[in-house]
Amino acid sequence: MYSIEVAALSHRFPNGDWALENVHLKVRERSIYGFLGPNGAGKTTTLRLLLGLLQKQKGEILLFGQSFEKSRLEILRHVGSLIESPSIYGHLTAVENLTIWQKIYQCPKNRIPEVLKLVGLAHTGHKKAGQFSLGMKQRLGLAVALLHNPALLILDEPTNGLDPSGIIEMRALLKNLNQNEGITIVISSHLLPEIEKLVTDIGIINKGKMLFEGSLNELMQRQQQASFLAFETNNNATALQLMHNHQLEAHIKEGKILLPHLPQPAIAQLNLNLVNQGIEVYGIAAVTNDLESIFMNLTDH
Amino acid sequence: MVTFFYSFQSEWLKTKRSLAAWLVVIGGFFIPSIMLARHLLYPNQIRTESQTPRFWETLMSQSWQFMSIFLLPMGVILATSLIAQIEFRNNTWKQLHTTPQGFSVIFWSKLSIILLMMFQFFILFNIGIYLSGVVPSFIIKDMDYPQEPFPVGYFLRTSCYFFIDCLPIVALQYLVSIQFRNFFVPLGVGIGTLLAALFAIQWEYGFLVPYTYCSYNFFILRGAKMEMMQTVNIHGLALGYFATFTVMGYVFYLLKKEKG
Repeated sequence: MYSIEVAALSHRFPNGDWALENVHLKVRERSIYGFLGPNGAGKTTTLRLLLGLLQKQKGEILLFGQSFEKSRLEILRHVGSLIESPSIYGHLTAVENLTIWQKIYQCPKNRIPEVLKLVGLAHTGHKKAGQFSLGMKQRLGLAVALLHNPALLILDEPTNGLDPSGIIEMRALLKNLNQNEGITIVISSHLLPEIEKLVTDIGIINKGKMLFEGSLNELMQRQQQASFLAFETNNNATALQLMHNHQLEAHIKEGKILLPHLPQPAIAQLNLNLVNQGIEVYGIAAVTNDLESIFMNLTDH
Repeated sequence: MVTFFYSFQSEWLKTKRSLAAWLVVIGGFFIPSIMLARHLLYPNQIRTESQTPRFWETLMSQSWQFMSIFLLPMGVILATSLIAQIEFRNNTWKQLHTTPQGFSVIFWSKLSIILLMMFQFFILFNIGIYLSGVVPSFIIKDMDYPQEPFPVGYFLRTSCYFFIDCLPIVALQYLVSIQFRNFFVPLGVGIGTLLAALFAIQWEYGFLVPYTYCSYNFFILRGAKMEMMQTVNIHGLALGYFATFTVMGYVFYLLKKEKG
């Protein structure tokens, strides 16, 4: 069962440029979906289309299996969102801000102190939200999104403006909401390290096109496939020739011979062959691409 | 209907401590305070005036003189634009448009709040006029309470006409305010149209300019005889403009491709 299904979604800016081209996206129920891409990749446009903030031009959007256009109000009853900068009435206190949304969602009043406690803003009292720090505003924005106990949370770069401890707290909070309350979370970011510890699934978008979608494990497998071996020898040219003779795709980079990852016995055999040819091997290292490099490679090409 | 009720409540909460709310209170008591100060500074004048048979009508006419031509339209322009600005300034249109309420509910509840605030202004203004008439009798020695009974019906009727005559301003300002993020756009449109209205009053077709009706109503209140008043019902025109601008504003709002 999917919380979000997007098919063939395309969107053009008024100037004719494509913001999104044929985007397909599926968010599993109860997953934490990391929506990654560099700035201007199309993340916010996709999320705004999902929430009906932009008029859909082409494609299909289903939330909870229902067409967004046909069941907009019913769907929005179960969706909490925080898009870009938090939506906070600066002349009102945190409680007054939440009361506004509590009236609209018609949820119990006791949810207000609950969510304020959850995001760590229970102590703000009569302080107006306009005087909050950016991090506090971001947390109040999250409280607004959580107020009506949504089944799906859509968060666009929610860690913007948070300090490192705030980011860790936010991560823990979202993980807790996902694991204990079963909330499906879509979280966009342009930084993989920021969300790789949190997400179960990942979608990578760049220049309006989806480059990858799958589980974190699938991305890890790509990472494995993309890892390689680095040999340091006293005679790289001869060593490279020998490797080519063994049908290995090796090349020299920054004084090291790089070749695709091999099983351990094959590494030992290759090393033995090099030594038998009189080549001194100073080091053999497995170089693993981190997820960030995978992300960079995907978005660069 | 229930959704509208809750939406209306939430919109009312947003006006708390807002600039628009202060404008209503200050605007409502501004002219009456000046009138009261005048009465206290020149006690002999008020002592005589308060015993005339049409004291309240005169006081009301004097109060509306300052209010109707410039201050009331300007106040309506500012308050309406400020209400829409609450969402733009706080980046809240996008959050509001992702709540489970129809776009129609949002549009009408916001407009209702503006009308309610205008109603609030009229109540405060009338209370202010009443107080500016009676307070001197408690403060100034040897001054009696006004002889003429307070003409509630007359005050209600006059205020009702001014209220109707403001409606085109509300509707056009609302239309522009929810379309443009920049506060100076509705303000510019408002001030520009108001200046055009002030120039147009003397023109034989001035009644076609939608911001002129408060001024015309003031002339009627003063008993002025203008030729066009024989044939033109300005209050009907005001209601017509109000309906037209409101429907236009509603359609433009619904058709807006980017909602926050």
